[in-house]
Parts: sequence; structure tokens; C-alpha cells
Amino acid sequence: MTETAIEAAALTRRFGRRRTAALDGCAFRLPAGSVCAVVGPNGAGKSTLLSLAAGLLRPTEGAITVLGQAPAAVRERLAYVAQNKPLHPQLTVADTLRFGRELNPRRWDDRVAARIVAEGDLAPDARIRTLSGGQRTRVALALALGKRPELLLLDEPMADLDPLARHQLMAALMADAAEHGTTVVMSSHVVAELEGACDHLLLLGAGRVRLAGPLDDVLAAHRLVTGRADASLDPHTVVESRTTGRQVTALVRPEGALGDGWQSTAPTLEELVLAHLRTPEAPALHLDDAREAAV
Amino acid sequence: MTTALSATAAPAARTPRGPRGLVWAVLRVHRTALVFGGLALAVATACLIWMYAIADDARRGNVPCAEPAHDGFPSCASVEAITVDNTYADGIDLLTAALSYVIFPVAAWAGGALIARDLESGTARLAWTQSVTPARWLAAKLAVPAVLLTAATGTVALLGVWARQDDDPNLVGDWYYPDVFISTGPTAVAYPLAGLALGALTGLLLRRALPATGAGFAAALVLYNVLERTRENLWPTVTRTEAGGFELPRSAWQMSWDGPTRATRAMYHPQSHFWPLQYVETGILLAVAAAATLTAFAVLRRRTP
Repeated sequence: MTETAIEAAALTRRFGRRRTAALDGCAFRLPAGSVCAVVGPNGAGKSTLLSLAAGLLRPTEGAITVLGQAPAAVRERLAYVAQNKPLHPQLTVADTLRFGRELNPRRWDDRVAARIVAEGDLAPDARIRTLSGGQRTRVALALALGKRPELLLLDEPMADLDPLARHQLMAALMADAAEHGTTVVMSSHVVAELEGACDHLLLLGAGRVRLAGPLDDVLAAHRLVTGRADASLDPHTVVESRTTGRQVTALVRPEGALGDGWQSTAPTLEELVLAHLRTPEAPALHLDDAREAAV
Repeated sequence: MTTALSATAAPAARTPRGPRGLVWAVLRVHRTALVFGGLALAVATACLIWMYAIADDARRGNVPCAEPAHDGFPSCASVEAITVDNTYADGIDLLTAALSYVIFPVAAWAGGALIARDLESGTARLAWTQSVTPARWLAAKLAVPAVLLTAATGTVALLGVWARQDDDPNLVGDWYYPDVFISTGPTAVAYPLAGLALGALTGLLLRRALPATGAGFAAALVLYNVLERTRENLWPTVTRTEAGGFELPRSAWQMSWDGPTRATRAMYHPQSHFWPLQYVETGILLAVAAAATLTAFAVLRRRTP
């Protein structure tokens, strides 16, 4: 029924007295069932975007719809894990899971939550305040997955996990999402964390959408080219170019066949993201057929 | 309806009994406060029952006496040998004061631990991204403590009235003492409720636990003192003017006294004004609580989608 998980149009959110925009006219569309990476430097607006999608903030301008409705109307169908993984420190692990059960009476699945917790060897009677950061992340994720959400919003979910736990939790997350067709939106500034897990990319910079679309399409739209420094890259869009001696290496969006003088390879996700982060003035690219608001 | 019942019947068999949903969550998250409150209630109940038990002896130690004993008066030495009246008077005094000051810890707790800590640490957002709207979250946060506070302060106030027995002012204080006045009527319940609402509002406005604790306490302090100063004006006083001098009974709460130049003029509240004064003050307190609660909901609605 809902083919679109999240749709944003001219989404703007300002904070503070100076009204600085954390998000500034964002437009994108995320199809249901995708696993989307929200990437960007610190302060790019990733957390603000996820809070807006979770129905915790009100947009200053523009609109965001989640699962076809206003975010606050679909509270029951989405789960959100905030960056600092807030949990009640005085509760035990078992009570924290009961918290999820009591507050989600129509959706809660005890087995899913209990399995995530058990995989981390957490004692059910351990208090949250005695847990390490990574263990708390695990409990927070168990609380989110136990809700059986249709949309899972994760703000920097893996930041304080060791590589083993990260790998294992990511696998559990992806298996769960694939099994139930959950849409997952994960923010991160560690690109390596997302590679291989995501099929959709949303790159934010200074509150604006820089890149949006299916990961394969975004990657296919770019080439990493090497050639002589005096050769012209017209009419291709150059995202970033670096000259070393008489040689130039550039990330381009080809507008047709590249000339003979160029050696081209497909960029990795990391190369793509880094090139865009280094050149904030590079033009944005939307491959997600977002209905651009007339702005 | 039957389908809903049968659907919930199966898991209910193994889930623990007792409160469910948000009520459970509020009780569990604030279990420390609940335990402290329960302990305070138990101690106050036990003390008041003890006071009631020694009340008769205390009255025997607080009677007119003569030295040596004559005309049916007991000897003063024998009366002074009875010390239980001091225990009784001190105990009643302490519990009366404690009940009238419940508003202060309640307001500080409501501002800090109940609301602002949840907002500061992000656990409020945790609740709001379960299947719970912010308005329901706040409603539960206010209703659960309000019900428990009403039950607890109501119990202690009624036990207090019972332990005071005949309200002998030599033992339990005059009705118009601020502590006594607050603790012996519906104001005993209304003050903590107003403190709860004011604290919750400061918590929502400040969103940080430590400042909200202080501000909640300060708001309660202001309310308490304003009402203490204006209490005598909450109901019209009785004016008694007579040529020559006269004396007001001890039970009269005297506001002013002129004379005796040609006539003596006294303004006072007779003891019969206790209930009108109680009703007006309780009404003011409940109005403050209602206004603070409505403002709190309005602030929350403005802030969340």
C-alpha cells in the first residue's frame, strides 16, 4: 500500500535565536523496503532529519510524510534510536524490554528483542547504568526491533560498538529487515560501516541534499578518471579534480562517452562520498525522482 | 469486543498482574520516589496511630492543677510528672508541619526527576517513539503521581484530624496557625497537587533537571508564601465594636485591634470561618494546578508535532 517510506518536500528546520537552518529545503523520496544510508559531515543535518522523520520535531517549513502520513500519526509503525541511545539508567535490561512491551501493546514481539539481547550475553537483571556504551546500543536496538517497525530510523547506530558486535548486529539488523521488508534509514559519518548493507544513499551537506538515489545508480552515474592535466573534461560535470604534476584525477558525472585520453574506473562508495564532502560546491544530484517543490 | 478479549487473553496468562502500559512505566521509572513516598506514608501513619493511642494520657497531663490538690484539681506535681503530653504535642506538631510542607519536595521532584530529567536525557523521546503520544506521556506522568499523592495526603490528613481528637489548642495548636490550617482540611491535598502541576510546568519549560528542581521548589515557595500572607483576606472578617473593653476568645483569629479609647474595635475570623477559608484556598490551589497543567500541555503541543 505505502510504496514510499519517506518523502520530503522543501523540508526546512531552523534552530535557535539566530534561526540557523539545520536542514534547508531538502527534497527526496525513499521507497519502502530500502535500506538507506544518510551520510554527511558533522552538522550536516542528519540527526535533525531523523528526528523530523520520527515525529519528534516539527518542520519550520516544508513537509515530510512517513509511510504516507504525518510522522506523528504513524508513531506506532516506526522505531527510532537516537544518537545517544537514551534508556532509563535505573531499569534492568528485562524491565527495559518490558517498557517496550507495555508501551507498544499491539506490536511488541518479545522473541525478537530477547534474541538481540541474548546474543550480547547481557544478564536480564543487569541495570542499564552498569552497561558499556556498546551494550546499551544493543539494548536500544532490541527495543527498536522488538516493536516490529515498518520503518527503522537509526542515528549513528554503530558508533560505539566493537567491530565484532558491529558486524553481528548489522547482520541481525539486515536479516530482520529483509525478512519483514522493513525500511531502514541509518545515519553515519563512517562510510565503511554502511558499505554492503545499504541500497540507497542520501548525502547531506550543510543542510541540503547533495546526492540522493539508489546506491547502484548513484555509483553508476560517476566515474573516476585519470588523464593529462591539459585535457578538457567538458561537457562532463566535474565533482572534484586533483592535479599532480601533469596528471589529473577527477570524479566526474559523464554526460556521454568519455574521450580517448581518459582512463576511467568505477568509484567506491567511500571515494564518492569523500569527493563530495571535499567539494561542497559540487552540484547536487537527485536520482530518486523526488517531486521537487518549486523553490 | 469478544475477539479483542480472546486475543489478549492468551498472553495475559503469563504476563505479570498489576498496572499495565504507561501506568506501569511511570511507576517503574519512578520507583525510588514511590518507595520513599510509601515509607513516609507508613511512618506518618504509624506515628499518628501512636499519637491517637497516647492522646488520652496527654490530656490528663494537660489539665488545671492546684498546689496542694484541692477542689477536685489534681496536684501540680502529679500533673507535671506526666510527660506524655509533651510527646503528644511535639509529635502532632511535627506531623502537622511535615504534611503542610509536602508541596516543596513534590514540586522539586516533579520539576526535576519527573519531567525535566526525561527531557534532558532523551528518555522522553524514547517514550514518544514507542506507541505513545507526548500528550499521553504527560497525562500519565501527572495523573499517576496525582492519584497517589491525593490518596497519601488525604490519608495522613484524616488520620491527623482523628489523632487531634478534641483539637485542644494547648496540645495541637490553634486552628489558624499556618501549619495547622493547611494540614487539617482539603488544602492538605490541594497544596501537593498544585506543587506537582507547577513543578511539571517548570520541568517542561526548563528541560534540564537541576534548574527545574530549583525552579519547581521556588515556584512552590512563592505560592505557599503568597497564600499564607493573603489567607486572612480570603473571606470577609467579622468586625466587633463595643463600648469599653472586651476580650476575644482564643479561637478567634484576630486581624486588628483598636482601642479602647472610646470603643474597642476588633476584626477577626471566628472559628466558624475555618471551612469557608478552606474552600476558597483549596479552590485557588486547584485553579493554580489546573492552569499549570493546561499550560504544560500547551507548551508540549507547541514543541512537538
